[in-house]
Amino acid sequence: MRSKSLVLAAGIGLAFLGGCQSAPPKPEEMARTSLQTAPADLQLICANAAAGTAQVDSSKVLPTSSRQLDATSYSVDLDAGGRKFNCIVDTNGSVKSVQPVA
Amino acid sequence: MKTTPDRKASSFMTRTRKLGLVVLAAAVCFGPPAALAQTQIYDARTKKWVNYDKKKARQYYARNNQLPEAFRRQVVPFRTAEKPGTIIIDGNQHFLYLVQPGGQAIRYGIGVGREGFGWAGIVRVGRTAEWPTWTPPPEMVARDPNAAKWAAGMPGGPDNPLGARALYLYEGDQDTIYRIHGTVEPWTIGLDVSSGCIRMNNDDVTDLHSRIEVGAKVIVLMQGAALYKGV
Repeated sequence: MRSKSLVLAAGIGLAFLGGCQSAPPKPEEMARTSLQTAPADLQLICANAAAGTAQVDSSKVLPTSSRQLDATSYSVDLDAGGRKFNCIVDTNGSVKSVQPVA
Repeated sequence: MKTTPDRKASSFMTRTRKLGLVVLAAAVCFGPPAALAQTQIYDARTKKWVNYDKKKARQYYARNNQLPEAFRRQVVPFRTAEKPGTIIIDGNQHFLYLVQPGGQAIRYGIGVGREGFGWAGIVRVGRTAEWPTWTPPPEMVARDPNAAKWAAGMPGGPDNPLGARALYLYEGDQDTIYRIHGTVEPWTIGLDVSSGCIRMNNDDVTDLHSRIEVGAKVIVLMQGAALYKGV
């Protein structure tokens, strides 16, 4: 009876540990750099949005840096013809805000 | 047509300028290597992210005869307003994207400029070359007998450091001296090793070359870049 309880407890423990372990990345995502920059497409979505806000040609807007804010959003800094902007974009590509930076 | 002194001088100046650009480009692209890579790859055996430096990259390539899967050519989702045929380079993550219709891109692994040599900007493909000639910079010629024999230019071929193809990047009508080119060191893809050029393995640069047109827009993203071009 006692050994059954032990086996059950061990099983629950292992299941718990398994549940805690994060799934490995997909093979095509098994590389990264220590810089947690935003994916390139999200940076360019922000550049496009900033071009509208700054009313400049999108070919004059370049993302200069970016960082992950949380599991679902990134902050992107942009240079729009010399004017600085910050953009928040989520992982679905939806721009949450574009603000000039003083 | 007889060449006038002015024309001769102009022609000489043009040739000298071109030679200067070639030498400068060679110097830019092939500076002394430094392994300051911040790349990490996922080790499926230990289930941990591990640093991927030049030594490990070489070992991986020798063992597998190919790059880690993330750096191999593949089609990926890519949401953008940029038109198909645009090249987007993510220097931090070591990927080059060629925009395709339907919200997709072909993604290739690349090697980029080491610390202090990264650059960003919006440029274009000014011209391309198959099996391009490489001319070593004078300082390399002075110290390296192997380079000295190519002082006048190394013909294109499998041992040429520019690899199978070169895409010359221009800002307006000016050569930026940066190129997207092949390599004889395919294991360096995924690392920060160059002096500003974008390197790809020869199969990939050949594939890219076959898909793009001269004039294609090239957007280079690089956080902490030392230099900005075209914006």
